[in-house]
Amino acid sequence: MHNTFLIARHEYLLRVAKRSFILSTLAMPLFIVVILAVTILVALTTTDTRPVGYVDPAGILAAGAQDVETNTVFIPFDDARSAQDALEAGEIQAFYLLPQDYPRSRSVELYYWDEAPDEDIQDDFEELLSVSLAAGLEPDIQRRMLQGPHLMVRSADGRRELDTANIFSFILPFGASFLFIFTVIGSAGYLLQAVADEKENRTVEILMTTINHRQLLAGKALGLMAVTITQLAIWLVTLAIGLLVAQRFFEPLRSLQVPWGYLGVAALFFLPAYGLIAGLMMATGAAFGDLQSGQQVGGLFNLLFMVPLFFSVLVFTNPDHPLLVIFTLFPTTAFLTVLMRWGMGGLPLWQLVISWVLLTGSALVSVWLSGQIFRMGMLMYGQRIDFRLAFRELADVIRNRGSRPAVQVER
Amino acid sequence: MKTVSVSSVSKRFGSVQAVSDVSFEVFPGEIFGLLGPNGAGKTTTIRMMLDIFEPDSGEIEILGGRLDEEKKKRIGYMPEERGLYKDQKLEPTLVFLASLKGMSSAQAHRDLEDWLKRLDLWEHRSKEIKELSKGMQQKAQLIATLVHDPDLIVVDEPFSGLDPVNTRLVKDILEEQRRAGKTILMSTHQMNQVEALCNRIVLINQGRSVLYGEVSEIKRRFAGNALTLQGQGEIPPLPGVLDMRHQNGAWQLTLDENSDPQEILRQVAGLDSFQVERFELTQPSLDDIFVTVVQEGRLSAEVANA
Repeated sequence: MHNTFLIARHEYLLRVAKRSFILSTLAMPLFIVVILAVTILVALTTTDTRPVGYVDPAGILAAGAQDVETNTVFIPFDDARSAQDALEAGEIQAFYLLPQDYPRSRSVELYYWDEAPDEDIQDDFEELLSVSLAAGLEPDIQRRMLQGPHLMVRSADGRRELDTANIFSFILPFGASFLFIFTVIGSAGYLLQAVADEKENRTVEILMTTINHRQLLAGKALGLMAVTITQLAIWLVTLAIGLLVAQRFFEPLRSLQVPWGYLGVAALFFLPAYGLIAGLMMATGAAFGDLQSGQQVGGLFNLLFMVPLFFSVLVFTNPDHPLLVIFTLFPTTAFLTVLMRWGMGGLPLWQLVISWVLLTGSALVSVWLSGQIFRMGMLMYGQRIDFRLAFRELADVIRNRGSRPAVQVER
Repeated sequence: MKTVSVSSVSKRFGSVQAVSDVSFEVFPGEIFGLLGPNGAGKTTTIRMMLDIFEPDSGEIEILGGRLDEEKKKRIGYMPEERGLYKDQKLEPTLVFLASLKGMSSAQAHRDLEDWLKRLDLWEHRSKEIKELSKGMQQKAQLIATLVHDPDLIVVDEPFSGLDPVNTRLVKDILEEQRRAGKTILMSTHQMNQVEALCNRIVLINQGRSVLYGEVSEIKRRFAGNALTLQGQGEIPPLPGVLDMRHQNGAWQLTLDENSDPQEILRQVAGLDSFQVERFELTQPSLDDIFVTVVQEGRLSAEVANA
């Protein structure tokens, strides 16, 4: 166990100190910061912050003007003439005119020069008007009226629902799913390289006379998983900070809630999904003498993990489609499909359980197989495994329950 | 007590019999030579000893029993295929390898300082290994083999890539380890180093053990009926002597297989025409023995195949 820890620590420190890791890890937060800064800059420089006037001879807005606090500053004018003078003088960007007969006509006139006030200003005025009109009502009725409609779309069986008031809570898990899978697949390169490194730099013989192959592979997989988690944590924390900042400037983001259920499922599936890809990649790295050949085969495995991406539309239109159920249960596609379907709220418990069991089982088998292949291939410097012989030996190993495989190697 | 006991060990890879019925023992305080031509099965034998491969048959005992995780920490191995983490700095790499052998980080740093200074690598400890010369990397590998003070040291071609100064340094270190009671198993092609360092050897050819024993005894065994005589005067033809040549100021006498060298000495000593100054049984070098045995092996194999 101690040796596994030493290998894991060595692998972790080796990878996180690499320039490529630092650059790729910082690129994402940097991207978010730049996008955020540009958005805020654009918002600040293009938004007209001048006040907006209103002419209200009937005194309808009097009540609201006292109670409502909006981002827009509203200035009352006695008549249209003085408001127009202020508009022409550039003191205000626009003004609303509520005619004397507003309670009957329900029509408001908006005066401006070249550009209409933006949507936020119009929303603020509507709020001011709504509060003013509801001023005399019972508090409960007043509150309900001001809240407006809250639309919840729910499937007939009640399993799936879409809350229009919290649309970002639905979109976020979907986006995060891509982040998870790209991070895991991104680490596949490290995993592939992990065993190829020791073969190429010839340290494998020294290591194998000190520790056993299980300790070596487990240590490397754990070290690289810690690298992946570090990268993911940095990205998620940055994303969270970015969202917190963005909330101040973007109203709809304020309804965002932490998707704990989604995070729980992601955490549950992360370890076995990582184990599966680690096993497959390390087996590939062990089987091929050179990194380039290994990368070609590794690329095919990556594709197996990313197949659900090509069916994203189906997740939106029919999350219970039989093909998606198959993807949910199939180990390589399970992680991404489960996360995407979870975002739609359409994942029966039995599928979740069977998917996790199959994924965990296949992860254990792949890690075990990678150990056997590593043992066969570790000393075949610059050579590929004779796969016919390898499969025969593996079959022998399974029959003999753990006796060691013999392979064709240099003497 | 034996440090290494290899008993009737065999290993086959597919259709190739890599090692066949090889046996030898290695004891504390000796430098044991594992010799053989390329592809003879030396590396396979070492890998079986170190549990990288499992033999098809035979028994191997290391440090008094089957090799386990604890015993692995008492072994220092320098493989023929040299390798260290090229992109990493020298000292942290050596500390990592030492920690896998059970040393604490603090102890490893302390002991490494002595080794790095002794092998002139102290100034280079913060360099990446790929920046070091081949000879420096070779010395770094030797440090990785010895820093944890192993009881069994297995070195495969320890002198390859070293200049004469560093060759002498490595020889001195191996001698020092032997004097300290360590068991050293050395595989090399450099017969002069074997003659200078090894007490006993085993020669493996085509997977089989063809010579095994003390170096002096093996040389005596291969001496044959040949004598070297040095002195003043002329030696007439003598009974039992097949050939007599004067080379480099000495007489080389080839005896027939029934002649006794001591009898020839008595005859020469009785001659009035020759005054003996030096008399010795002519011993072939290990290099000659190696070539003779390997060529005989090839000849036998060709005859068998024919």
